[in-house]
Amino acid sequence: MHHVIVGNGVCGMEAALALRRKDGEARITLVSDEHDHFYSRTALMYVFAGQMRLQDTEPYDRGLYERLRFERVRERVAELAAQGKSLRFEGGRTIGYDRLLLAVGSRARPAPWPGAAGPGLHYFVTLRDLEGLDHEAKAGRRAVVVGGGLIGVEVAEILLARGLEVTFVVRENWYFPLALDEREALMVAEHLRAHGVDVRLGVNVEEVRRGPDGALAGVRLGDAPRTQAALAAGAAEVPCDLLVCAIGVVPNTGFLATSGLRLAKGGAIEVDDALRAAPDVWAAGDCANVTWADGSRRPEQLWYTARDQGRVAAASMLGDGATYRRGTWYNSAKFFDLEYTTAGWVPVRLDWDNTPLDPGPDVSDWFQRSPGRFDSQRIICSGGMNPPSLIKQGGLSGPPRPPLAADRVIGFNMLGGRWNHEVLLDWIDSRRSLGFVLDRLAEAQFDEELSPRWRRQPGSPPT
Amino acid sequence: MQAGLMDTYQRPLQKRGAVAWIFCAALVAFYLLIYYTDAFEGPARRLGLGDKWTLYGVLYTLAMVAGGIYFLRRHGNSRYQRIRTITVVAVQVVLAFALPIVMKVLGRQEYYFSYFWPLKIEYFYPSVILQQPFLIVIYSFLGSLVAFPLVGYFLGKRFYCSWICGCGGLANTAGDPFRHLSDKSAGAWRFEKASIYTVLGIAVITTVIVGLNWAVGRQHAAFSSFAFGVQRWYGLVVGGFFSGVLGVGLYPLMGTRVWCRFACPMAAVLGLVQKFGRFRITVKKDMCIACGNCSTYCEMGIDVRAYAMANEHVKRAACVGCGMCAHVCPRGVLKLEVKPDRFKGGTPIRVYAVDL
Repeated sequence: MHHVIVGNGVCGMEAALALRRKDGEARITLVSDEHDHFYSRTALMYVFAGQMRLQDTEPYDRGLYERLRFERVRERVAELAAQGKSLRFEGGRTIGYDRLLLAVGSRARPAPWPGAAGPGLHYFVTLRDLEGLDHEAKAGRRAVVVGGGLIGVEVAEILLARGLEVTFVVRENWYFPLALDEREALMVAEHLRAHGVDVRLGVNVEEVRRGPDGALAGVRLGDAPRTQAALAAGAAEVPCDLLVCAIGVVPNTGFLATSGLRLAKGGAIEVDDALRAAPDVWAAGDCANVTWADGSRRPEQLWYTARDQGRVAAASMLGDGATYRRGTWYNSAKFFDLEYTTAGWVPVRLDWDNTPLDPGPDVSDWFQRSPGRFDSQRIICSGGMNPPSLIKQGGLSGPPRPPLAADRVIGFNMLGGRWNHEVLLDWIDSRRSLGFVLDRLAEAQFDEELSPRWRRQPGSPPT
Repeated sequence: MQAGLMDTYQRPLQKRGAVAWIFCAALVAFYLLIYYTDAFEGPARRLGLGDKWTLYGVLYTLAMVAGGIYFLRRHGNSRYQRIRTITVVAVQVVLAFALPIVMKVLGRQEYYFSYFWPLKIEYFYPSVILQQPFLIVIYSFLGSLVAFPLVGYFLGKRFYCSWICGCGGLANTAGDPFRHLSDKSAGAWRFEKASIYTVLGIAVITTVIVGLNWAVGRQHAAFSSFAFGVQRWYGLVVGGFFSGVLGVGLYPLMGTRVWCRFACPMAAVLGLVQKFGRFRITVKKDMCIACGNCSTYCEMGIDVRAYAMANEHVKRAACVGCGMCAHVCPRGVLKLEVKPDRFKGGTPIRVYAVDL
């Protein structure tokens, strides 16, 4: 049996390990054109900053491939012939497979602005992106970073650390509205500004300016739809030497156009619950269109779901009845020095075009911020409904659950400190009340020892 | 990103560049001269410091104070690191520097209250015991045989290796720029397990031989000269060459804890206690993004990331509990904790009154 895995990221590697664990004999081939070894993409920013070497980001020792007899092909796939069960590489060679896993991940969403293509435009998703940015990011230069997500804030941080002047452009009225509410996001913006980042909220890039020789000259900004703050006169033109586009990622599936596989609108590969895309073809990780807990079909562009999907896909490839179901949501991040933990259902309050979103009359927030510090806790409560993401694994087709009482905790958004999401999820899943949770919240603290114990601020909202 | 750690691999001194080799050679030369020659006796006397060991104490303490300030500027945003660093520097200044000098000035036998057998092997030599006041002998024996294993069981070996010990203190202050240079390979781990318990065995055997010699040496001249040979050899090779010349000399090439990791007999004892004790690094379940900051900055060469990725709490004899893995983790996955190990990792069991 020849298993071919396209993609040497966390999903592909975890699948290969799971295959090998269960089948000592199978032939396993990993295809990737990026790097000879599995490295942690999440650590690219540390490699850029010089905090780690690329090799330090490789979770397994370099002898792993030989030890586990993983064959490697350093090629880029040009075409998949699912009927003939073969892949054709850009170098012209073809390779046959018995079972194929597409774990091809994402690539950066291309910059859509007029004049964007050309020198000085950068992304920050792959090793090639890193090399390009590393080469051009020289102290004293001016950079514009566009995109109010996690990669944008990481790029702003590392460029600032290297001594560049950074302008951070966010289309929405506040930073990262997918996860943060206005109070939290303004705190993050305040923190970024305190570090010296020029944060521009509620503005769009209208056009990328280039000199007569094509060299990057700057960007022209304009008001985003329904923006809160109209641009001041003269603030629209931002000269820059580098432009980093961090407006999200798209499935890396361009080569599958002729494969016959079903692709979703955004390009993700349609798969069933067993992550099967077609006979003898599986897809997992960023590139797979999966069913979320709320029933919607989207790719999950997360590190740990890519890992989990890789394992499920491997089991499925070996004929086990494995299916992939997402549990209750959780995630963590870091905005400069501010750590962030979220668990459960945190309603989005602002759409991409700055339309306010109303989570409904049943949803309420408990929020406190420590005075004078970048530290806040938000607990989301609900009544009269079961938020879709709370329906636990296997519950999608199960009987409807009774409505929640009015003060049940359904989500957490914690900024500044460290929190144990296991405890928070446990409280959500066991339908605890706000009073119960606030009495015990310090139990979920995960700060370093000797840190002050969490407590309610005087004047914090009543329960 | 962690304030103070970026640029680590952009400085030649911190990535084994030529300047690091020169610095290493200078450190080794300094230790060879001070341990095995009288080259520093003259300068010491000219500075009014009595002998070369006092000069060494002054330099060592200065390095720790200056290094401590440097460390706090980099990592002082963590309260744990702040308190730990101030403690270990204070212990050095008071117990390992000022107090012995005061004792010497008062004409008493100097005593280092922060060092114990088997690290300070001579504190169990009968000849040394007999020179000490009774209370100090009690202090020394209770410390080595009762208090240390007990506190190590409850708090982990870090209470000594990262909060009290001068060797660890220098590593975590002046040595901080080199902590990432520790060898993370499986081979280094195998070597460490073999070497550290070998040195512990040699330390115990040496203590026994020296003790026997005190009891029966007068009747057996051949054994006596053998025992003196062993005692001298241990002092020169383990006490001098391993802990000083290699232990500090190799900072710029192999990181800060070469001595602590591969040879220190005290670390070996406390590590065994810790392995069965209550200290652990708790791993938050399924939150690790495998970036590798923890493993990179572990001065003991522990592959912390492998544990974090596998959702296993870290319980390793080697861990000195410096806390830097938790400090540099960008996702807050790790936490140094003292917890009875009743439950398996990743399955917290909590029982509350029902409030549904």
